[in-house]
Amino acid sequence: MPLKGFTRNIPPLHVLTDEQIDAIHRATLDVLENTGIRFENDKALHIFKKNGCIVNFDDKRVRFPSYLVEEMLRMCPSSFTMRSRNKKHSVRIGGNTLYFSDMPGEGILDLKTWEVRKATREENREALTVLDALENFHILCSYTPYFEIEGVIPAMSIPESVAAKMRYSTKVQWTGYQNGCEIYNIEMAKATDQDIMGLGLPSAPLTYYSDACESTIRYAEADFPINFASGCMMGGTSPATIAGTLVSFDAEVIGGIVLAQLVKPGAKVVVEDTILPMDMRTGSPVFGSITAALHIAAFGQVWRRNQIPTFADSGWTNSKKIDYQDGYEKSITSLVIALSGCNVANFFGGVYGELAFHPLQAILDDDVAGMIGKFIEGLTVNDETIAADLIGEIGPIPGHFLITEHTRKYFDKEGFFPRAADQLPYEEWREKGRKDALELAQERMAEILRTHRCEPLPEDQDREIEQILNTARKVYENK
Amino acid sequence: MASTLDEIKQAVLHFDRKSVEELTLRAIDENIEPLEIFDALKEVIGKVGEDFSKGILFLPHLVGAADAVEGGMPIVMAEIEKRGKKVESLGTVVIGTVYGDIHSIGKTMVATLLSAEGFTVHDIGINVPAADFVKAVEDDKAHIVAMSALLTTTAPEQNRVIGLLKNKSLRDTVKVMVGGGAITKEFADSIGADGYSGTAPGAVKLAKKLLGM
Repeated sequence: MPLKGFTRNIPPLHVLTDEQIDAIHRATLDVLENTGIRFENDKALHIFKKNGCIVNFDDKRVRFPSYLVEEMLRMCPSSFTMRSRNKKHSVRIGGNTLYFSDMPGEGILDLKTWEVRKATREENREALTVLDALENFHILCSYTPYFEIEGVIPAMSIPESVAAKMRYSTKVQWTGYQNGCEIYNIEMAKATDQDIMGLGLPSAPLTYYSDACESTIRYAEADFPINFASGCMMGGTSPATIAGTLVSFDAEVIGGIVLAQLVKPGAKVVVEDTILPMDMRTGSPVFGSITAALHIAAFGQVWRRNQIPTFADSGWTNSKKIDYQDGYEKSITSLVIALSGCNVANFFGGVYGELAFHPLQAILDDDVAGMIGKFIEGLTVNDETIAADLIGEIGPIPGHFLITEHTRKYFDKEGFFPRAADQLPYEEWREKGRKDALELAQERMAEILRTHRCEPLPEDQDREIEQILNTARKVYENK
Repeated sequence: MASTLDEIKQAVLHFDRKSVEELTLRAIDENIEPLEIFDALKEVIGKVGEDFSKGILFLPHLVGAADAVEGGMPIVMAEIEKRGKKVESLGTVVIGTVYGDIHSIGKTMVATLLSAEGFTVHDIGINVPAADFVKAVEDDKAHIVAMSALLTTTAPEQNRVIGLLKNKSLRDTVKVMVGGGAITKEFADSIGADGYSGTAPGAVKLAKKLLGM
């Protein structure tokens, strides 16, 4: 059985009427059919041409007949399994299941200065060990946890990151691409007998860079799932309105989905909501905004209708520190993701944008994920939980429920107990060193690093990974 | 009745490129000195830039106003050249996004703000090979070359441009400034750039500082 994650037993949020969803879908079909998407890759253009799209090879524009788009959307599985190297960490993505992933950072956050610096290989291993140990964390994100690792050239950062994730965690992963490095990522997944999810990122507006096409084609051919995510910035690379961004985003990701289905009918795909509003004072993206959260709610509703699994981002914040703002920006968006029926929230560990990651943040986020998961699992209502007889039995004061079998049976099922939050009564808090959540997270991290041992890769698989990395290192040494 | 120059300024403030174009042609027909038209356009975009930096106006206003100014600028410049005159400029900047990277918004914002400030800006676009940067520096006798990179893998392209400038003995003639999502101050220092900015308004301050203003 795959890792359970959280099961949403409450109805998902509805922010759109059925008619509004239809209007958004019709506009998306219209953009795909009349404006089209630019694919800067000849192989992709030929695939589209052969399958009935109208292709202009001069401006590389592909226009999609609506019947083909709708047929390709129907071909996508509504859920699929990703096999982990240790089968107890496999996941089945889709339906009413919620999993948590992380938000990587370019570097590690220095907790004294709050500045960001390059992580060492040891810090990378430690962060992966923490993610492997956290019970509410299920799927390792691309570039996890750090984009840059000391001693690794930029062109090798993805393959090195993929290998580290395989070595220091048994959880499944999704990953990025650049300069064709997906070739090695796919080889490493096959060598360790597990699935890996690839990325195909359109560049907004309405463009697929050649690397994204190559990655899509390679992952589809290998029968691995592909994540399509368009990094629209509202008012910059997509319309300033949520409805308009739903249309341009959907057109962009559907272009890639059609490519994947034409390469491999039935290809496993997910779409990821990564949109951000543009800060019109600086041109920078605004992270953790309520506008993006409302977009996610609408996005979840649109893609539930398409029956295609969804990811959404909640792991980034505008704050440069692990602080109050960071906490509320991340938590509100994560809760919206969960309530919107999305299947994976990229949440753990990220601090400012994608600039910083810290395992302590991931430990704090583990509690938030547990709270959110607990909430969407809903409540059980039956004669026993309604407890009418019991209420009658106990009666008015001096009756109480502490003494009952019913309380012993249900208190922990109905409650949630965070691991790194301070919930002590005041006097006890004073006696026990006046610790806050960050200090408690530090204690939990030390405990994890002392006790948690990830099941190692079998030696032959580890050697094979190293051989694949060595081949990649030779290819990329001068890039 | 408002003068044609005032009407031009108003049209810029209404982001109306077509009217700016028509009014500029009318101003020339009315025998208004082209340098005066140029100054009017500069004055109004300068004011928009100032209001942007004060937080009164926002990027869509800035970009809209710059676009409107562009409606009149080529007409005025052609007329100034025809009369054998020259305009004053804070300096010439060659700007582009490096090879392998197609991100354009950040670069365009910096170009717009530099132009609003009074620099002559030559925007050479996105995905620009190192040799094209260097050729533009040479052809335009640029005072500053500004490079943008959003992807970590393409950031080293900025190093390549600096290397090529050195090979062609142009490095001492031009200031190099870098920026973009993939760039940090440490990276800028490591490749020997003269300056780094993480924001568009910061890039304008940097350009002025680099030219001793």
